[in-house]
Amino acid sequence: MADTPRPLDGMRILDFTHVLAGPFGTRILADMGADVVKVITEARASNAPDNQYYVNWNRNKRALSLDMSHDEGREVGLRLAAKADVVIDNFSPGVLDRWGIGYETVSPDNPSIIYVQMSGVGAEGPWADFVTFAPTLHALAGITALTGVPGRRDIGMGFSYNDSLSGLHAAVAVLAAVEERSRSGRGRRLDIAQLEIALNVVGPALLDYSVNGRVAQPSGNRLPYDDAAPHNCYPCIAEGEGTHNERWVAIACMTDEHWQSFRRVMGNPGWARDERYHSASGRTAHLQTLDEHVADWTRELTAERVMALCQAAGVPAGVVQSGVDLVDHDPQIAHDKFLFEFDDPHPAVGVTYGDRLPLSFSRTPADQYTRSRTYGEDNVAVLGEWLGLPEDEVRAGEDAGTFR
Amino acid sequence: MPEPSGALAGIKVLDLLDERAIYGAKLLADLGADVLRPEPPGGDPLRRRGPYKDDVPGPTNSLWHAFYASNRRFVTLDPAADDSRRRLNQLVAWADVVLDGGTLAAAGLDPDSLLERHPALVLVEVSSFGPSGPWRDYLAPDLVASALGGVCATTGDVDTPPLKGYGEAAFHFSGSYAAIAALAALRHVREQGEGQRVEVNVHECIASCLEHVLMWRWYNDALPMARTPSLPRRGSLHWSNAYVVVEALDGAIMITPTPDVGAQIAWLIEEDAAEELLAVGLDEEDSDVSLAERALESMRPWAAAKRAKELFFEAQGRHCPFGLVQSVDQIAENPQLEARGWWRDFMLGDSPARGPGPPFQIDRGPGPPSRVEEKPDTRPYTGPGADTEAVLAEIGWEA
Repeated sequence: MADTPRPLDGMRILDFTHVLAGPFGTRILADMGADVVKVITEARASNAPDNQYYVNWNRNKRALSLDMSHDEGREVGLRLAAKADVVIDNFSPGVLDRWGIGYETVSPDNPSIIYVQMSGVGAEGPWADFVTFAPTLHALAGITALTGVPGRRDIGMGFSYNDSLSGLHAAVAVLAAVEERSRSGRGRRLDIAQLEIALNVVGPALLDYSVNGRVAQPSGNRLPYDDAAPHNCYPCIAEGEGTHNERWVAIACMTDEHWQSFRRVMGNPGWARDERYHSASGRTAHLQTLDEHVADWTRELTAERVMALCQAAGVPAGVVQSGVDLVDHDPQIAHDKFLFEFDDPHPAVGVTYGDRLPLSFSRTPADQYTRSRTYGEDNVAVLGEWLGLPEDEVRAGEDAGTFR
Repeated sequence: MPEPSGALAGIKVLDLLDERAIYGAKLLADLGADVLRPEPPGGDPLRRRGPYKDDVPGPTNSLWHAFYASNRRFVTLDPAADDSRRRLNQLVAWADVVLDGGTLAAAGLDPDSLLERHPALVLVEVSSFGPSGPWRDYLAPDLVASALGGVCATTGDVDTPPLKGYGEAAFHFSGSYAAIAALAALRHVREQGEGQRVEVNVHECIASCLEHVLMWRWYNDALPMARTPSLPRRGSLHWSNAYVVVEALDGAIMITPTPDVGAQIAWLIEEDAAEELLAVGLDEEDSDVSLAERALESMRPWAAAKRAKELFFEAQGRHCPFGLVQSVDQIAENPQLEARGWWRDFMLGDSPARGPGPPFQIDRGPGPPSRVEEKPDTRPYTGPGADTEAVLAEIGWEA
């Protein structure tokens, strides 16, 4: 690693997380300079290190193979936990306890340790044993029912939204505990329920129910409670047949000024001068006709053209960008060099790619990226630096299966 | 004022954020930081976001604002007043952390000069697209940010337009990143005594949180599921073809044969619902993925003929990660949230109200976690500038 200072230099994290939510949280901490040691063994890998999913969420970490089903492995695990600032997992509650490295075992010797348990619905409670993936949590939290169009509750987010959101929240919680510890010297146990993170997305709707007794309904691209129109995605010139080749643009007139400007962008058509459309409430009341008129205009143009015309006039608008757009066509992302190729090819995958941390620190730039690592690739370095184990002992442990 | 409590008790935060990242200031406030939110004499424009208590706008009636501006102190700051710049400067001097969405520049305050005067200051600057580049001045409220950021293209169905996530879904990403920026920079202050600026680029924040979206383009040749470089919207069916929402007899439910396809197939066999699956044979396809896809096809009619809630509990009893599609009234009755003491009672203006709690349980242990012990108090939600006098006294202003 280069020696440019990073904000979390010197922080040691023992990382037992897997799949997306947990690994994304520790990836963010690793991007900012924490020494994240990812424990991954062939026996317990939910995604193998040569799986692109693994590659994407585990950069900037070091890989340690530590077989926690061995007594020797658990003993080394306990010694590593004693040296760590943070131990984190997203197993079902109780796995680390069963391995003998739970909070109550480790904290007497390392009272400043921060233990993070990221589970689906929390470490205790009648549902504590429930098994959840992001689509489960979207459903339970109301995100599925409310992300959709009126009359349907079977759409929801088109990707594992809450996994990323939970990773971000895990990073927030760890850093909050670190801040508290800097003043008190005291460690913490953090119980993060991914369900509760998802529920914040519908926070105002939950208050609306508890205060007004109203059960929120999906509202498509409309604001659920406020008048703003046009406020939708509109079809543009397609690139071919099928959903795949459709092109769309989002237009969001948040104010009457936006609407006045948008009318001019469209060339002040007769229909738009109708007094029904003068106010936001009038436009919202006649939304369907309004949307049809706007779509008649956008359909003759490319999405990029509509965006450029609108933005030049101060009207919020943006192309509905796919992954191909983001990687190949987004001029802002290209300008910021947000996406990149790792210098060091992955031994199994070859060329790998990344998206930079979207934070720019002026004094401690966090812009160093090392590719994700494979089984045991950092055994010698990690066990040497954290525990002072000489290389021959590590190699012997590899042969014996403890570090494999 | 209640005694400060929570992990961030004593941290002073100046919240100058708009909707693009106000959620980040909320996270810090709910963790116990003392978060001051200035607003113009007529009140924060975000107090005019619905829903409203009794459907009537009013100083303390915006439930949107009560949620996103929870646990704040509110101080009036008139941007048109002669001394507004001086006062803003004083608030910056008071703060450990300033979260800014463009207010400082509008007031003519230069970030680098602020850092020179306050070398331990953490200054988080949130913008839609960063400080330079072709889209630097583009306007991107939630819908536009979601479209450009990649959320909409993959959300919705073939017979709907591309859709944004509910509410401020995309801005929960950028808000969370803003909180991370503040706390990481604060850690550097603790270690080295040095503050700094941190830029938060909302567009990139969103694009970094899209699960499969970038991967499908990058590794299209290598990923077995990625049959095209980008996946168009197709309702609830996950990119893996292994999770889908079906309408059951009395409600909707998310069903999936993962993570143990064998156990799910055994369940179908148990209920005589695997006829089609068995007719093709379980080993005629050679990958787990295609078996999961085929299992899901048999599960759709099977689940549709059941009661959603019963199926959900039966599935969870078998360790199958099904999810009941809950509406907010069902969430309000949820026993898990009740048992965890998740809800918060607070004063909404003059009336008691119950609202969502924080997403963390931070406990000093050992012993079983107990949220009660460390729970930050929920401040009353008050009207525009309600804390102005107290703040004036605290930082030495004259009213």
